[in-house]
Amino acid sequence: MRGGWLHWTVAALAAAFLAAPSLVVLGASFTAGNIVAFPPEGFSLRWYGQVLSSTALRGAFLRSLEVAAVCTAVAIPAGTLAAVALARWRFRRATAIQLYLLLPFTVPLIGSGIGLMLLFGELRLLGAVWPVGLAACVINLPFMIWAVAASVNGLDPELERAAANCGAGPAQTFLLVTLPAVAPGVVAGALLMFILALNEFLVSLLLVDARTVTLPVHVYNSIRAVITPDLAAVSSIFVLAAAAAIWALDRLVGLDIFLKAK
Amino acid sequence: MKPTSAAPSVAPAVEAEGVSRRYGDVAALAEASFRLEAGRFLTVLGPSGSGKSTLLRLIAGFEAPDAGRLRLYGRPVEAIPPHRRSVGMVFQRLALFPHMTAAENVAFPLRMRRWDARDIPARVARFLSLVRLDGLGARRPHELSGGQQQRVAIARALVFEPELLLLDEPLAALDAKLREEMQLEFRRIQRELGVTTINVTHDQREALVMSDRVIVMDQGRILQDADPETLWREPAHAFVAGFLGVGAFLDGVAAEGPALAIAGATLPGRAPAGRAAPAPGARARGSLRADRVRLAGAGATPAGCHAAAPALVEDAIFEGDRILYELRLPTMGGARLRAIDRDPGAHARHAPGAAVTAGWARDDMILFDAD
Repeated sequence: MRGGWLHWTVAALAAAFLAAPSLVVLGASFTAGNIVAFPPEGFSLRWYGQVLSSTALRGAFLRSLEVAAVCTAVAIPAGTLAAVALARWRFRRATAIQLYLLLPFTVPLIGSGIGLMLLFGELRLLGAVWPVGLAACVINLPFMIWAVAASVNGLDPELERAAANCGAGPAQTFLLVTLPAVAPGVVAGALLMFILALNEFLVSLLLVDARTVTLPVHVYNSIRAVITPDLAAVSSIFVLAAAAAIWALDRLVGLDIFLKAK
Repeated sequence: MKPTSAAPSVAPAVEAEGVSRRYGDVAALAEASFRLEAGRFLTVLGPSGSGKSTLLRLIAGFEAPDAGRLRLYGRPVEAIPPHRRSVGMVFQRLALFPHMTAAENVAFPLRMRRWDARDIPARVARFLSLVRLDGLGARRPHELSGGQQQRVAIARALVFEPELLLLDEPLAALDAKLREEMQLEFRRIQRELGVTTINVTHDQREALVMSDRVIVMDQGRILQDADPETLWREPAHAFVAGFLGVGAFLDGVAAEGPALAIAGATLPGRAPAGRAAPAPGARARGSLRADRVRLAGAGATPAGCHAAAPALVEDAIFEGDRILYELRLPTMGGARLRAIDRDPGAHARHAPGAAVTAGWARDDMILFDAD
């Protein structure tokens, strides 16, 4: 294995580079001082205490949860049905529809954000929290479709014929055989959509006002004033929450589901 | 109990008249006609692409015929959607529902057919017992071995007492020993329930072992429809002779007798049963099963033979209970022949390179038209 050490060095550098921001924030959150600094001055949990007792932070966090819940609730039926239809039935213009559904990836987020802002403004929806969840769903839906499509593609088409052979009509076949068999993909996609909506920043920034700030927007607003270590504590909690969700995803359905999409 | 062959008053289980199915320009099934009486075990034998699976899919209702008439128990199939047909099927890849236990898989057809929920557990238990899976009902398919999964699929296909059982090469993926065991298992269950069965396979041994009747197909056409012994002894078509058993063909010109003329020699043979021998002067092929070819030393004629030719042993393949000789006939333009010695311990073996004489009886060479 000539050159093995080179591969490992590059891999280690890349991993360190990926982890560095999170590690710096995590370290800074434990500081005993009054400003964000790395390495931290001393060690204390006072800024975590600060975070937990702040009503503004708690309110923003609850709003972010609501955004994530709305996004996931809409994405599950929409993404599942779209993925099953696209992967299962060969219909006219399937490719065009597939491209259309993946479009959110090609449009810059700031573009979709401004578009959604104008649209929601026209519809008098600005100022409520749930439209932010809807927006997060629209821009992240391709992830949901990919996750479910991976499950559908891995499905033996004979399963549905077997269901018909057992006496199940088309609706029963879909509800009792197809849907449960693609459930791992639905779970994976739903968890992913939840994390993405929880973390969603740029589009939320354009859609929220002072009463409806979500947690990432709140953090952003705060750093424009004074950068205090409680923001590092919030960020660390975010990173840990996301890591927990990824861990749950791996335990529930396995991360390799994302490697199987087409 | 389902109707069996002892109840001749019922319509045939399957009746096909000129049934065809095309995919684009390819005729997957060309004017297939046959009748299957209730209670029989029919095997459709053919290589891949012969149309045998298409036939099964038409009967199950996953596809519709382009032409011809197909009736199940006297009713035209067009009138019945797949989920209303009383047809159980064991799929090639089994297609067990992965999120259900073995018992739930077997209960599924009963639930879909709206059986009384109180009767279902006992019936599921009876059928799990029939396929010898007592106590394994709570396992999911991935927790069962290949043979056990096979048995779940059989129970699921039979539990609702279908009028017809379809087997789409479900044994193809099993290893040889398990496959033989399952062949006998299918036969036992089929006899026990008396269910009319159509089995599709490319395995000639499976066809001979399991069936009352065998239909041989090639390129979408039915070539022969007979019981296993007739099929073996009296192939009606050169393809059938080549597909079943181990043997070889000698290519030549048909002569009076009937006989086959090759390179100046005239070898006596016979016509296929119920058919005329190839017209003298036409190109013809003589089929010779390896187990009918006898060997003797060079210059001698093997006992009981009407024809003999000098042969060179090219290879002698030890197969345990027999030796397969690959032979070349130098006086017949280098034609190839095979011979099987079923009792290799009883006499000396011919080594590769040895000169021998290959002989056979008149009735052992069947003469076919060369297509």
